[in-house]
Amino acid sequence: MEKIEIRRIVFTFDARRSRAGMLEALAGLAEQTQAELIGLFIEDVDLLRLAALPIAREIGYSSAARREFDLARMQRSLDALADHLRRLCEATLGDTAVPWSFRVARGSRAEHLLSAASEGHTPTLLVPAGTDPRASPVVVSLSELTEENSRELLESPQRPILILP
Amino acid sequence: MDEDSDSLRAETSDPAGNKQAIAGIVPLAPAQLCLRCPPEQFQFDTTDQLEDLDATLGQARAIGAIDFGIGIRSKGYNLFAMGPAGTGRHAIVRQHLERQARSLAPPPDWCYVFDFLAPHKPHALKFPAGQAVSFAQKMERLVEDLRAAIAAAFETDEYRTRREEIEREFGERQEKAIGEISEQAKAKGISLLHTPTGFAFAPTRNDKVISPDEWSALPENEQQQFESLISSLQETLAHVIHEMPKWRREALGKVRELNRQMTRTAVNSLIDDLKAEYRDQPQVQGYLVSVQEDVIDRAELFQHAKDAESAMSFGMALPQPESGESPFRRYAVNVLIDNSHATGATIVYEDNPSHDALTGRIEHIAQMGALVTDFMLIKAGALHRANGGYLVLDALKVLTQPFAWEALKRALRSGEIRTQSLGQELSIISTQSLEPEPIPLDIKVVLVGERPVYYLLHAYDPEFADLFKVAADFEEDMPRRPESALTYARAVATFARREKLRPLDRTGVARVIDQLSRHTGDAQKLSTSTRNFADLLRESDYWAGKAGHAVISEQDVRRAIEVQISRSDLLKQRVQDHILRGDLLIDTAGARAGQINGLAVAQLGGFLFGMPQRITARTRLGNGGVIDIERESELGGPIHSKGVLILSGFLAGRYAANKPLSLSASLVFEQSYGGVEGDSASSAELYALLSALADAPIRQSLAVTGSVNQHGDVQAIGAVNEKIEGFYDVCRAGGLTGEQGVLIPASNVKNLMLREDVVESVAEGKFAIYPVRSVDEGIAVLTGQPAGKIHALVEQRLSDYADRALAFHLGAARKPWRAVPWKK
Repeated sequence: MEKIEIRRIVFTFDARRSRAGMLEALAGLAEQTQAELIGLFIEDVDLLRLAALPIAREIGYSSAARREFDLARMQRSLDALADHLRRLCEATLGDTAVPWSFRVARGSRAEHLLSAASEGHTPTLLVPAGTDPRASPVVVSLSELTEENSRELLESPQRPILILP
Repeated sequence: MDEDSDSLRAETSDPAGNKQAIAGIVPLAPAQLCLRCPPEQFQFDTTDQLEDLDATLGQARAIGAIDFGIGIRSKGYNLFAMGPAGTGRHAIVRQHLERQARSLAPPPDWCYVFDFLAPHKPHALKFPAGQAVSFAQKMERLVEDLRAAIAAAFETDEYRTRREEIEREFGERQEKAIGEISEQAKAKGISLLHTPTGFAFAPTRNDKVISPDEWSALPENEQQQFESLISSLQETLAHVIHEMPKWRREALGKVRELNRQMTRTAVNSLIDDLKAEYRDQPQVQGYLVSVQEDVIDRAELFQHAKDAESAMSFGMALPQPESGESPFRRYAVNVLIDNSHATGATIVYEDNPSHDALTGRIEHIAQMGALVTDFMLIKAGALHRANGGYLVLDALKVLTQPFAWEALKRALRSGEIRTQSLGQELSIISTQSLEPEPIPLDIKVVLVGERPVYYLLHAYDPEFADLFKVAADFEEDMPRRPESALTYARAVATFARREKLRPLDRTGVARVIDQLSRHTGDAQKLSTSTRNFADLLRESDYWAGKAGHAVISEQDVRRAIEVQISRSDLLKQRVQDHILRGDLLIDTAGARAGQINGLAVAQLGGFLFGMPQRITARTRLGNGGVIDIERESELGGPIHSKGVLILSGFLAGRYAANKPLSLSASLVFEQSYGGVEGDSASSAELYALLSALADAPIRQSLAVTGSVNQHGDVQAIGAVNEKIEGFYDVCRAGGLTGEQGVLIPASNVKNLMLREDVVESVAEGKFAIYPVRSVDEGIAVLTGQPAGKIHALVEQRLSDYADRALAFHLGAARKPWRAVPWKK
């Protein structure tokens, strides 16, 4: 079986999932494979659209309290979260030899992930939020991926996705 | 002065220098003035040849009481060793306690351990002597073994897989619940979104959240429908979120049960081994069972103990133990009492018997600005250390320490040691504290104190008699018998050897015995004061060393005594100087009516010395009272006043049985500014009074001591040696004339242990000691006239006073009665 050398690891954050230990695991994997780490925080465009509606309300994760929100508040929340994630990456990856970058994008998750995965034309490991990076990946070819099937892959992320050029 | 008196005063010395009798009173012979211990009675050359003396001299009564008190084990038979300081109370008590303690088994060890059900009530565990420390070490090793065994159990595949299953099950349960709501929403054209802080429902069109424009374009009823749907979904979601903590609890419960299962096997095998070792000690076994349960319950602590951070489970910190930095401190053992080195029952002497020093204390440590404590900070007190043995305390120290006496009585009464801080007991401190389980008390307490302390406690503390039933009364002196001299010599030899002093030759021993007899103020007694005895021997050894003597002889002992006196007699010298310079008026020659030399004694800093004191009497016609100027000026004590009142009784009984006593007399201690107490001058005061009434001069070359009763009998007084020597020193400083001497009660002759120089002067006829039995004898010696004559003169004077008083009263009665006319 041919050995595949991963050159890039693209990982995403979302607004909800616990990030404890994930960055450390990714840094270990990147050091092991000598791959570049790319952190991607995608501001969900659906959230922003909802925030613009007069019926925008949320229920707290732990408290179950109902709160109204608007576009400005949602934007501030997303900005604050992006800053926090950047600092987290700096704190965790800053002292390692792993080359890393952090990006903030807005739009569809599938679209941006595919775009990031296809940038280098090299084998890229896609680690959606909440996925164990050490789990065996689902291997797909870039050419096979459409926006539709990639959304399906991303919506139930149990395993990382290895995208081959 | 008539012929009789002349003949009486013509006292001369016989060829041997001995004084001849005056008025039938024979002065004491030199041999009567001091009972010397003859060195030639001893067969040894030095005390090195004598065997040690095991027994204690002169304390048979106290020792009998101590042996009884120590031997009897019944409740309340604690001891009070009473007697003057310096009689060897502490040493004798200790010596007897040690002897008894050696025959007893070492008392048990005691520990405090954590009580898992009531952490503020540490549990007391009892072990046979010497086993507590090993139990503490075994518990320490057990914890180490448990950490390794439990950590290993948690690292097995079985555990990891089972735990992941539980965690995954919990995660899936959450995801499933949320997913179901998401599906329900999706079916109704609504999408479930994740915001940074929660969930939100958004209306969608073509799988995309509708834009504000599209929303605005929707008919109102459609908007309301969406709103209603979203509201309903939010209700459902809120219900699920509310359920989640319960699911987490269930999952935690499963993990805990898993932990228990995994831990139980490891723990049981280790603790069962330990339980088997202590199968004969149900209390310890019970404690180990509770440790077993607690370890199984708190297995996570063992699993995560190596991590610096708090143990986490399902994103929540596990609870930390209540006390200390280490989560395993609760399994430690606080060895309160370790008797591993004891060879018998313990004897504890607590020099500072404060409340805490007796009952133990609970220490606190500052943690984040608060004072906290735990069972490891309980410290033993003297009662703990002496439990199963003997506790020796100084009674006065216990009584002067706040609440110590009450704490001691409470412990003895209840038969248990309850460690509680004073602040807690008085409810004045509200820091976190403990209520350690009381420890059963089996102890014999020996209080050492002075007699007044014992009698006061007996009188004023109703519990005292129940708690201290045995009194060991230490005597300050013992009878001096010829056969006891050798025993005393052996005591000297034993002490010299024990203290590594030079041996004493027979003259040295004899001089020591003489001096110890002198300490008692009685030729027929010997002092049992170990302090005087030890000081004299140590100081004699010092002077022997200074003189280059290999053996302590009489001259070294004498030097030690002289230097002891010279170190303390500054005030005595000052008084003598004042007398010699004429500041203090004391005549040692001539004669004067109504004036006599009394003898006083003063004790300053343990040094007793005598000095003459001029007493004068004046009489006049009056209404029958003897005025004590000392009492009137509030310088006289009650006993002195009593003595003076007795004089009135004597005068009335002897001279005025049939007539009124129409006398006013005043008595005073001249130049006395510091107060007078005691009745030893009452005979002197009576002589002065009789002299004044009879106008018969008293020889100022004589001094007088002795008390008197209403019949005129002269009675014994104290410190007779010091009083005689006080007058002798004044006379010698002014030059001994051969006329000088002292009148003492005949009953005090047996007390005489006078200095050698006094005895020598008496032997040379330069000084005399007259023993008198009655006022009649005394007045005859002092005035040189027969007592009958003096009494006749006194009676005549008093009769004259009575007649004059009668005439005075009759004259007043004969005055005519005159009516005074009433004027308006």
